[in-house]
Amino acid sequence: MVDIMMFLCVLAGATWLVADGTTKLGYNWQWYRVPQYIFTLEDGRFTAGPLLEGLKVTLEITAASFVLAFTVGLVTALCRLSGSVMARMVSRAYLELIRNTPLLVQLFFIYFVLSPIFDLSRFFSAVLALSLFEGAYASEIFRAGMVSMHRGQWEAAYSLGLGVWDTYRWIILPQAVRRVLPPLTSQAVSLVKDSALVSTIAVYDLTMRGQEIIAETYLAFELWFTIAAMYLTVTVALSFLVSLMEKRMRVAA
Amino acid sequence: MNDKVSGDYIITVDRVDKVYPNGVHALRDFSIQVRRKDVLVVIGPSGSGKSTFLRCLNGLEEIDGGSITVDGIPLDDRKENRLEIRKEVGMVFQSFNLFPHLTVLDNVNLAQILVRGKSRKEATETSMALLRKVGIPEKASAFPGHLSGGQQQRVAIARALAMMPKVMLFDEATSALDPEMIGEVLEVMKTLAAEGMTMVVVTHEMGFAREVSDWMVFMENGRIVEEGTAEKLFTNAEQARTREFLSQIL
Repeated sequence: MVDIMMFLCVLAGATWLVADGTTKLGYNWQWYRVPQYIFTLEDGRFTAGPLLEGLKVTLEITAASFVLAFTVGLVTALCRLSGSVMARMVSRAYLELIRNTPLLVQLFFIYFVLSPIFDLSRFFSAVLALSLFEGAYASEIFRAGMVSMHRGQWEAAYSLGLGVWDTYRWIILPQAVRRVLPPLTSQAVSLVKDSALVSTIAVYDLTMRGQEIIAETYLAFELWFTIAAMYLTVTVALSFLVSLMEKRMRVAA
Repeated sequence: MNDKVSGDYIITVDRVDKVYPNGVHALRDFSIQVRRKDVLVVIGPSGSGKSTFLRCLNGLEEIDGGSITVDGIPLDDRKENRLEIRKEVGMVFQSFNLFPHLTVLDNVNLAQILVRGKSRKEATETSMALLRKVGIPEKASAFPGHLSGGQQQRVAIARALAMMPKVMLFDEATSALDPEMIGEVLEVMKTLAAEGMTMVVVTHEMGFAREVSDWMVFMENGRIVEEGTAEKLFTNAEQARTREFLSQIL
């Protein structure tokens, strides 16, 4: 109860700050003009506005990148833990290169340098850049999960005659993935937010659509608030989904 | 089949040396043979190399010198041989090492399906028979985390037996258990011994050693100090060190 009161107080304070600030700026709020950019209802027919269309692209990019980043991360982590010197070196080089350069530079590099050579679409360039970037971080998360497994799990599996791959597949990975679900979620949330950068190579995602509308209407405050809320909805939903999943798996374990 | 090669002996350890990367010399010029259907009990102070010896027998540790042969298969650098030996040698650990994300039944089923290539149905039949044998068929669908230590260790024994091994290794299988649970695990081990399973047992349970062992080895500093029947070691040990150790522990 006290918590809720405190929350409401903070919320009221923040609202007042924004309202006061904008009054001093002399900003003329025109919220009524925003909904048409999200969706329109004509004769009961629902039509998605540019913002919703942008959100759809953002979700597509995020989903594709997530699957690819998960795969890249897993493979990189396995390479780093493998006995092969070559695999360890390549995966380490990839990891350090990606982690120590800005995502924006990687995005430009892929879009302006690689995509003409390999004839990559804009959408695919965006997905590739994001998955390589997030995959590097995901690989460290996976690796941490796998090395945190007790040695006895390996030994028990080996003593039963299981090979390395069977042990990874049936013993180590199922347990490691469960363990790293929370940091993996943070990474997925980062992915959603980082996807905004693809607007710089003119992929028509949520951010790009917003910029476009603002350029025409000058509704900067209203639209950025709306766009932030839309991102927030996606990331909160994602976190909620994962915590549900975590609960279900904990019962199983 | 392999009797011609290994004679009556199922395990032959010949002049084995094992040095850990940190410099600890765990086994020195260590030789021993184990007869089929015998129970070998290994005793000794901690750090004497008992566990290392056991872990070398199924290739969990690599040896630095000498040779080990199990059921006619030499344990060498060849991966196939190591896998082959692991199929024939079951191991029970001090810390159980059950797979916590799998049910009891799946723990016992897993290797039968993956390694022996059985169908799930066949595997389950074997597993349920083994769970009955160790006295906990009613826990088949439980997860290991919900079992007592004694129950977990009995599941671990069933899991190792599911591979139909020719040799069972027990690495201080009762040391992590509460006193009231030690008995139930020892009972299962006694039953196995009575059925003629070849066993190598590292233990501090001297009552068990006395009752079940066919041959006993007292180790210290990676060497065999003395070996013989339990009767001889307990009542008539030749070495002063053996007598001293046993008087401390009994």
